[in-house]
Amino acid sequence: MTRTSSLIALIAASFVAIPLASASELTVTVEGIADAKGTIMLGLFDEATYNGDGAVNGANLKVDSTSVTATFEGLEPGEYAVRLYHDLNDDGEMNTNPFGMPTEPYAFSNDAKGRFGPAKWDAAKFVVEADGTTHTITMN
Amino acid sequence: MDLSRRHFIEAGLGAGMVGTLGACATNTHGADGIAGAPGQPAWHLGYQNAPSNGFEPEAMKLVFGKPPADLRGSLYRNGPAQFQYGDQYASHWFDGDGLIHRIAIEDGQAVHKARFVETRKRREEQAAGAFLAPGFGTLGDESYYVESSDDVNAANTSVMVVDGELLALWEAGSAFAMDAESLETKGPKVWRDDLKAMPFLAHPKVEPDGRVWNLAVGGSRVGIYLIGKSGELEDFGMVDMGRAAYIHDWTMSERHLIILVQPWINENLRPPVVAGFEWQPQHGLQMLIVDKDDFTNQRWAQAPARAFFHTGSAWEENDGTIKFDVVLYKEPVLGVGGGAAEIRGEWTAANAGVDGVLTQVVIPTNGDARLIETGIVGEFPQVDPRYRGKQRQLTALVSGSTPNRPGATGLSTHNWMTGESRQFEFGANRMVEEFLFVPKAGGSSETDNWLIGPVLNLKAGVTEICVFDAANVSDGPVCIWQADYSWPLGFHGTWA
Repeated sequence: MTRTSSLIALIAASFVAIPLASASELTVTVEGIADAKGTIMLGLFDEATYNGDGAVNGANLKVDSTSVTATFEGLEPGEYAVRLYHDLNDDGEMNTNPFGMPTEPYAFSNDAKGRFGPAKWDAAKFVVEADGTTHTITMN
Repeated sequence: MDLSRRHFIEAGLGAGMVGTLGACATNTHGADGIAGAPGQPAWHLGYQNAPSNGFEPEAMKLVFGKPPADLRGSLYRNGPAQFQYGDQYASHWFDGDGLIHRIAIEDGQAVHKARFVETRKRREEQAAGAFLAPGFGTLGDESYYVESSDDVNAANTSVMVVDGELLALWEAGSAFAMDAESLETKGPKVWRDDLKAMPFLAHPKVEPDGRVWNLAVGGSRVGIYLIGKSGELEDFGMVDMGRAAYIHDWTMSERHLIILVQPWINENLRPPVVAGFEWQPQHGLQMLIVDKDDFTNQRWAQAPARAFFHTGSAWEENDGTIKFDVVLYKEPVLGVGGGAAEIRGEWTAANAGVDGVLTQVVIPTNGDARLIETGIVGEFPQVDPRYRGKQRQLTALVSGSTPNRPGATGLSTHNWMTGESRQFEFGANRMVEEFLFVPKAGGSSETDNWLIGPVLNLKAGVTEICVFDAANVSDGPVCIWQADYSWPLGFHGTWA
């Protein structure tokens, strides 16, 4: 239960945008969305924030097809990771079953998966280059 | 036991076996010349891999007796059936992939087929040719991701049919929906969107009117499902049993759910799960009694420390006394070697551990519960489905053992009203599995039932389906159908 709770806390962490002065651009595309409804709640993290509550940046992306795209500008080049969940019922929360297991789809960058918990930073991290980066996450 | 009848059956089947042995060329034959893997004892046949695609429909041969004309339906069964990839053995019997059997019986004919439940664990391990997923007795491979209980779901413990839908049951994850005819896997059953991936125990309780009650266990928290005859979830609620006890089964009367909180506790469900259990007999065997109409209306009862896997069924007397039958052990039997040694073909008398004894638990309206032991050593207690939750007399269970191998050797019935027990001993050459009550056409008493179940014939290296008359099992089988091959021992089944 503790592990599950920490997974939810991590994924459902507040997606507070913290603008950083820099020039890199990141485009994140989320594909393979099963239900064309609700909102993809996407958080962008660096290593310092990945296991905490605050994101480096974030986006709430309305879903009306099988994919959505977010673009983040002004990022400092370096390593980042994405955590997201699909808020199917638009209640602003990552819903869980009574034992705390997520009942709404979620994903990590690199399509990384966890083992009794969220995907680890090392599995989810990717590099945002100085001249820009695109990253695709496939839901399943 | 009726020795003459048993010997007659042995002799009769022995004669009928000549053709059978010739036909089972696909079986491997062990060092002792009896079916089994090379160098393995004959009984290891019960723990060998089934073919990866299961079994195609094949008519079984009637080798004894006359099938009852009114016996019409399907015996569905489930059990682990993948124990080895190359030289790698599964770490625990309970972690083998579930193989769903259907023995369809009509007009005296029995046709067997079987399919594995296509879980993620099954798909990925088949592709890799190796065990990957963590489990009850398995640490698992670090490369295998686990985001949900269904990522490790072995779907290998029992089956249920609700409104024509077949469900393969495990206990720590979702039920898996299957096509009842083709046995093809549909996928995890979601009873309601907010209950996705909730566990669903392998021992649902079906009311005589067809409604189903079941539990979801996670630590000390217990979810309660009520499913209507049409397969729709009617209610779901949560209760707390105070401790993270191992809950494989439970019981139910007409008015109450009775959750047996055995003092076998696991506060840390890390794989391998079995390693985390601790026997804490100071707590005794406690029972949480929950009102079916109001889950907040609860009371507790206390009994001496016992471990258990399986109950029969409960009823209530006019004064509110609750009685139920259960096979009780003085201490847990897992981790002794049971569950791990068998699949390697290893067995010593020490593996047998403590005996499970058919016991009646009597819970008065006030005060501690009493245990009335029958002295019958056995497992898999079963009752007439028409009497679930109601006052009744009869329990059937597999019984008997032999020191040289795991598994039961006989079938018993016990009458709680008269105290009389009856038994049929198959002898050391057969491993007896769970037998189910199937009501006869026309009759309504508990003795108006057939008892049907599989028996692994070690002499011939084939699986048989046996039918007994519940009125007198000591008369021996009414009829026996025999497959041309064997399949691994299973756990539980249902008749539909």
